[in-house]
Amino acid sequence: MAIEKNYYTIDPEGKLKCFKCGVPLIKGKAKFMYLDNGFPVELPVCPVCGFVYVPEELALGKVASVERALEDK
Amino acid sequence: MSQIQERGSTHVYKVNKISKEEMESMVARCVYEDPPFCSAACPLKLDVRAFLEAAAAGNFKKALQLYEKIAPFPLILSAGCEAPCEGRCRLGEIGEALAVREVERAVARFGEQSRLGGIFRSKKRRTVAVLGSGLFALLLAGELEKKAYPVTVFCEEADEESWLRAAADFLDEEAFSLEHKRLKGKDIQFEFGCVLDRAFLEQKRSCTDVLCASWELTKRLFPDAVCTSELMFCEAERLVTGPTEGVTDAAFGAKKTALTVDRLAQNLDPRNTRGQEGPVESRLYTDLSEAKALDRVPCSAGGYSREQAMEEAGRCLSCHCEECLKSCAYLKHYKKHPGLLAREIYNNTQIIMGDHQLNKPMNACSLCGQCTVVCPNGFDMARVCHLARQNMVSTDKMPLAPHEFALLDMLFSNNEAFLVRPQPGFESCKYVFFPGCQAAAIAPGTVRAAYLDLCERLEGGVALMLGCCGAICDWAGRYEMLGQTRDFIDRELSKLGDPVVIAGCPTCRKELSGFVSASVVGIWDMLLELGLPEGAKGLDRPAALHDSCGARGDEATQRAIRTLAAQLGCELTETPFSGDRSPCCGYGGLTAYANREVAAEMADKCLERSDAPYISYCMACRDRFARQGRESRHILELCYGTDAGAPPDISEKRRNRLTLKNELLREVWREEPREMRLDYKLQYTDEARAMMDERMILTDDVIAVMDAFRENGEAIEDEDGLLVARRRVGNATFWVKFSLTDGGYLVHRAWSHRMRVEKREG
Repeated sequence: MAIEKNYYTIDPEGKLKCFKCGVPLIKGKAKFMYLDNGFPVELPVCPVCGFVYVPEELALGKVASVERALEDK
Repeated sequence: MSQIQERGSTHVYKVNKISKEEMESMVARCVYEDPPFCSAACPLKLDVRAFLEAAAAGNFKKALQLYEKIAPFPLILSAGCEAPCEGRCRLGEIGEALAVREVERAVARFGEQSRLGGIFRSKKRRTVAVLGSGLFALLLAGELEKKAYPVTVFCEEADEESWLRAAADFLDEEAFSLEHKRLKGKDIQFEFGCVLDRAFLEQKRSCTDVLCASWELTKRLFPDAVCTSELMFCEAERLVTGPTEGVTDAAFGAKKTALTVDRLAQNLDPRNTRGQEGPVESRLYTDLSEAKALDRVPCSAGGYSREQAMEEAGRCLSCHCEECLKSCAYLKHYKKHPGLLAREIYNNTQIIMGDHQLNKPMNACSLCGQCTVVCPNGFDMARVCHLARQNMVSTDKMPLAPHEFALLDMLFSNNEAFLVRPQPGFESCKYVFFPGCQAAAIAPGTVRAAYLDLCERLEGGVALMLGCCGAICDWAGRYEMLGQTRDFIDRELSKLGDPVVIAGCPTCRKELSGFVSASVVGIWDMLLELGLPEGAKGLDRPAALHDSCGARGDEATQRAIRTLAAQLGCELTETPFSGDRSPCCGYGGLTAYANREVAAEMADKCLERSDAPYISYCMACRDRFARQGRESRHILELCYGTDAGAPPDISEKRRNRLTLKNELLREVWREEPREMRLDYKLQYTDEARAMMDERMILTDDVIAVMDAFRENGEAIEDEDGLLVARRRVGNATFWVKFSLTDGGYLVHRAWSHRMRVEKREG
């Protein structure tokens, strides 16, 4: 699937740290996938191990509403 | 099996057609859109209900607009109308029928005429000539002018006034002058003093598109003319006309004639595409139980005053059939009558590409069947929604999310929490007790007491089966899963030698009766046979009995429960909508999972019937009423002197089922169950517990996350020093925010999403 633009961007601004690697999370490229649809996003990512963080507000907000919309397709 | 495969894609371009005829026949049962009896009886199809509503509100201008739709000359029609509407008025059955015609007269007299007349309307290109005079010619000219035809009247009279007088000599002077004024305002051309003979007629025929004439003139010029009153057309003479008698008939004749003119002007056969003309039969239902029997407002020879007309119009019952909407919280929520909602839900199943906007309403019906009982025509919304759900499942367009939690819960009941054993000492048993998944989840102590009691007092051995009957996947429309569940239960029952099933829940009783080979009875039947166990005691204050929707149509069960309640010494208060008319608590049809808002409204609807404590015989009802804050007891709790207490949260419901199974295994069968124990301490803040219940996150999901964290050490540390770990479990990713404690973890928050997330390169 061609990825052309980002849908959400969240910048960790040095507030979050990877517990395993001990380094601050950085704004990194990630992808949400659901029911054969993909959405490129920028989320807090660990530069070492690649852990992608989905904050609570995002999960319950935009992510949930996109899920609902896709489920009714 | 403890996972459910999510559908692979939204890109499914197929639909499974529900037979349109079947859907139409279901939709046609709803009479909401049938006209009220007065309008049905009116050949001119006046919207009497809206007309009287406007008049009652004193809005005579609007009332007159509605009346002018059927009457180009309102005072003439209201003076001479035979008022068939009054003969069908439902008020006439309990008192005096509404004086519709007198209200019409008052509206025609006092109503302000709309200023937007026909002056600025663009005229049609085809021209029409009306020859002759009389009531029919007048009304026809009015109808044609309303339809924007350029109309010319050719008459023998010398002026407009005498032409009008020839038509309506029955009007009093005041009415006559008003109608004269109205006629002048109409865009009708006149040629007076014509000699109406055959030559004149033929000459006009050559320069006009459609020729109409009064019946008297036609008979004079063509004594052998034959006309059908349906079409108002003399085919041989190519003349639009017909005989009429009386004012209503002339008005109706003019309407039919105007339609014939329409067809002829377009060179079409006047027989076709005429729609439904004249009076019709209505199937509308009007509840007269609360209607007041009142006499008509007295009317003097001069007619009603404005105030009197408003008062009389105010007596209108405004006949609507809303029997289902009165009692069903679901239909009330969507503010739609079931015929319309059913049609929309049917259309929803037939969408190939695009949004299925009716998924939520389709999944919000509790499938309880109350509408079928309260509807005078037996409308079956449950069947509509159930069929639609199955249809969506069959084409892989049904979202899993609304029902997944319930379906996983069913799988849990029939896997980890499933138990089947014959009574110790018996190889095959005469009975098997099937309490139902919700009883084990909500009141495990009561299930234990009931089983031990049945074992002790019944001859021939009582086996136990803890599991789900399959109602959950049935409600979700997952018919393949239902087939598998039924096969599974059937197999287990046949291993026990097909004993008589003693169901603890009316829904289980109904579901199991549908497929198991042995007979199925309710535990209430057995208790009536055996007598109440020792210590059985009813509530010491009056209580309301809530009938389970699983027992709808099952009079024997409803009666048995009442007898049992009487034996317990319960004083039951009468509630409206009991027995077969009972509403659903919101658990049925998985409403509580698919649409919590509607489910809460359903529970409130059940509870508004009484302020007393509620006694029910379905554990889901007991649970939902307790959740709404009402004192709520299951009749088995009263029989066995147990109290399940406050409603358990979703994790406790699972734990209760497992604990019950393990305790019974130890106590009855002397087996030591394998129990999973955590080798670390896991605690929750109160906020986390409430949040998990609200967000449908189980402690098992949290444990899965913590296990993953302990294994791989992956987590995020936020600015407050709290850690956040995650794990994909089935079709969802669960996130847990926690702090480290001495020997374990304290959970602060938890959330989940269904989307997968991963790092992307580039």
